[in-house]
Formats: sequence, C-alpha cells, structure tokens
Amino acid sequence: MGEAAPARCRIDVKGLRKTFQARGRDIVAVDNASFRIGDGEFVALLGPSGCGKSTILNMVATLITPNGGAIEVDGASVVPGRPMRQVGYVFQKDTLFPWRTVEDNIGYALELAGVPAAERRNRVAEAIHRAGLDGFAKFYPTSLSGGMRQRVSLMRTLITQPEILLMDEPFGALDTHTKLEMHSVLLGLWERTRQTVLFVTHDLGEALTLADRVILMSARPGRIKDDFAVDFPRPRDAVALRETPLYAEQFQRIWHSLGEEFAKAHAP
Amino acid sequence: MRRRVVNLAWQIAIGVGALALWQWAWDLHDNVPWLVPEIFDPYFVSKPSDIFSQFLRMSCLMTSKGDWTLAIPDGFATCIGKSENNLWAATYFTLKNTLAGFAIGVSTGFALGLLLGRSDRLSEIFYPYITAFNSVPRIALAPIIILAFGIGDASKIVTAVLVVVFLVFFNTFEGARSVDRDHINASRLLGASEWQVTRTVIVPSTMAWLFASLSPAISFSLIGVIVGEFIGAEHGIGRMIIEAEARGEASGMMVAVFVLMIVGVILSAMVSRLQAHLLRWRPAQQQQP
Repeated sequence: MGEAAPARCRIDVKGLRKTFQARGRDIVAVDNASFRIGDGEFVALLGPSGCGKSTILNMVATLITPNGGAIEVDGASVVPGRPMRQVGYVFQKDTLFPWRTVEDNIGYALELAGVPAAERRNRVAEAIHRAGLDGFAKFYPTSLSGGMRQRVSLMRTLITQPEILLMDEPFGALDTHTKLEMHSVLLGLWERTRQTVLFVTHDLGEALTLADRVILMSARPGRIKDDFAVDFPRPRDAVALRETPLYAEQFQRIWHSLGEEFAKAHAP
Repeated sequence: MRRRVVNLAWQIAIGVGALALWQWAWDLHDNVPWLVPEIFDPYFVSKPSDIFSQFLRMSCLMTSKGDWTLAIPDGFATCIGKSENNLWAATYFTLKNTLAGFAIGVSTGFALGLLLGRSDRLSEIFYPYITAFNSVPRIALAPIIILAFGIGDASKIVTAVLVVVFLVFFNTFEGARSVDRDHINASRLLGASEWQVTRTVIVPSTMAWLFASLSPAISFSLIGVIVGEFIGAEHGIGRMIIEAEARGEASGMMVAVFVLMIVGVILSAMVSRLQAHLLRWRPAQQQQP
C-alpha cells in the first residue's frame, strides 16, 4: 500500500467537498476527499450506501458541481457541465435510449462524432461481438434482460475508446449470477485495453474481483477512510478467484473496516 | 379462442338486433303506441332500408328511377356531373381538409410544445395566455373563422388546426418537460452538443407523448372540419347534412353520418397503425395506455 504510483497521474482529486440542502439544513455528502489515480489503474471506490461515493464520481464526470476542492483530469481542471473527451461514463441506472436498437445505441457516440456509416457499422459489429451480443443487433432494449442491457450500455461507452472510464455501480441492479457474468465480461474487455477506471460500488467482492486498488469511504459525511492495494495476478477469473485463499485473506482484511462503516450508516 | 367466437356472435347479434328494431319498430306504433316512442318516426330517424337506397342514389350508383347507373352508358358520369356536392366530392373535400388540418395542427402543436416545454422562461411568460385560449371552446370560434377566411377550404382547415393544436401542444409540452435527465446526461457524456441532445434525445422522447395524442387529434380534426362546413361551405359532408336537413330528408342526413363514421374508422385505423409502427420499441403492454 501507499507506494508511489510510478505511472502518470490521470485523475487528481484534492480536498473535494459537497453539501446538499435538505429540509433547510446543509448535509455534508463529501468531506475533504483526496486521492490520485495513475494511468491504467483500476480503482474501486467502496463504501456503504449514501456515503457520497457516487457524488464524487459524478463530480469527476462534470455532472455535479463541487462546493470546494479541485479535480484535475490529465492536468486540466474539470469544469462542471463540460464533459471531457477522453472520459467515458457508465451509469448505474439503465440509460439506454429505448427508441434505438442495440446497434443504434452502441453506435450513438460515433454518429454524434460524424463517423462515416460504413466504419460505424464495422465498429458496432465488432463491439456487439466482443460483448457477446451476437444476434441481438436489431433488438430494442425493452426486450433484453438487465444483464444484456448493461452490456449494451458498457459497449455504448467503450466504443468511443475512452482512456478514462467512470463507472457508477453499473452492476448494482443485477442478480448475483448475472453480476458475476458481467465481471467476467468487464475483466475480459478491460484486461485487453487497460483504461484508467474509477469504479463505484458497495460490494466488496466486486471491488476485489475487478480492481487493483480499493479506496474505502466512511459513512456520511463521506471521507476517504483507507486505501488498499489488491495484488491478485491478472488475467483474473471472476469465479475461480473467489475460491483462492488470497481472496479470503484480502476480503477479511477490508471487511472489518467496511463493516464498521455499514454499522454507522445503518445507525439511527 | 372460444371466448372470441362467443364475443363475435354477441357483436353480430347486437348489430342485427339494433338494425331490425330501427327498421321495423315503427310498424308496431299503430297497434301499440305506448311501446314505441315518437322518436322512432322515420321522418326523424329514417330507417335502414331507406338509408341504403338513399345511399345508392346519393353515391350515383343508382338513378332516381332505380336503375343501376353502371348499366347505362355514361350513367355514372352524368349523375356525378349533376351535383357539385355529390357524395364522392363531399367525402373527398372533407377528407382532404381533415388531413390538412391534422398535419398542420400536429406539427404546429409539436413545435410549440417542444419550444415552451424546454424553456422555463417562455412557458412562464406564455402560460396565462395558453390557459386562457384553452378555456375557450374552439368550436365557438368557427363562425368568426368563416367570416375571416371565407367559405372555401381555408376556413375548414383553420378550424381543424385550432381544435388539434392545443391537444397536441399540451401533450408535447408534458412530454418535453418529462424527458429523462439521465438520458440527457448520457448523451452529453457521449459527446453530444446542445443541438445534438435536442435532436437525438429530446425530440425522440417527446415523440412518444406526441403519438399518444394522434388518435384523438385525427378525430378532433374531423369534428373541426364538419363544424366549419355546417356554418358555411360549398362542399363537404357537413354541408351535405345541412342540405338534407333543409329538405327535411332524414335518410340523406343518415347517409352522411354513416359515411362520416366510415371515414372516422379508417382514419383512426391508419393513425393506430402509424402509432404502432413508430412506437414499436415499446413493450406491447405499454402500447395502449
């Protein structure tokens, strides 16, 4: 832990603060959060529900304006409302456009960028194949399962080849089995391309399966509590990994610390 | 399956029963006057057999002497030439104006709804005017419109547009306000400019609301045109009803009403098909709210 990341810094969060107004009172959602993420690192931001981890992610994504602190992506200050070209975002909620077919959803960003139709078709076909969605190109999202919709979502973002990927509990709404399947899909995709990833989750197993590093947040007001390195070898097998003694050991180590925060989050 | 057959049998029985009652109920009047109210007098409501033969004459399929026009050389053409507002011409004009009123009303209503729905400023400014106009029964404006636009097609189209535009406007307005914020965010994060967000997210999500208003819009458009024709027109089915009324000819009015019914059914069916096609991305159970 804590050894200086040799890679260049892609995301630099310094003293970030966010308060919300609720019933006339200020509620501190994020308090003095600081961390750095190096190039090609897969970082999980882990914490109990309502701890402000999604708020941090959304501030990095320019969707929410912070009340204090600074965010730099590739050395440039993040301006709220001005998404950065090299950053991709995957939502927790299903945000596929229901009036577009699978292929038109995946090709959406290319269409916006004015990529010629022929090239678009090729790239979309490849993305569909890589996500294991062959045969579903002409389907509308409403006729797909939750897991398949989330794969389409993932490919809709990945097709722009973002160097930095922000993911907001993308598999939070899926059942355990589908979730494991999606971990395999994501690992398979990511281990080839190695984008810089900030992945928000409240699921420790998920964090350990996917990430190189777990940043643990405290219950509200959200502060950075701890920072663990996860050094399982890659490529990882999402299912087999969970049965290794190393995994159990790591899980125990973080579980205790996380458990305290869950207890606080649920306290009256 | 069995249920559908039974339902169909009931539907046929009810239809045939109603027509039979209409046709023969009045014959009972002389013997048992208390059973059949005065309203069944064919002078007021005509009867199916009269309506059918009147239809054959009005549509120039049969001459007033009872010969089939198609059997006489030039028979059909001569008959059509005799009346400028024959059934075919009347249907054509009514249909044409209904579709024109529908098209203009829907596009105007959609454009206004989108504009005001996406701009808090504009909707705040215009809100009182829209509520005020919406409170006026549009049909009350018909005589003014005839006065202003004359008795030609324009006044019918304007009446139809006025009836349709508010309906579509309110639906579009609601739709434009309820566009999913996450869809807009997703679009922005995928690199969309403001204009691209409008074109690829706001317009298509609002479309779903627009489509829901198309069925009532086409019926309303037909109502607008008919009212316009009642008040002042040279041709059209509404005009035909007024003419038949002036002659005290119930069967003539009934023919016009039946033609309107058929026109209405066909127009609604067309709009439903269009709607089903355009909303094909929705799950089946949501298609009919």
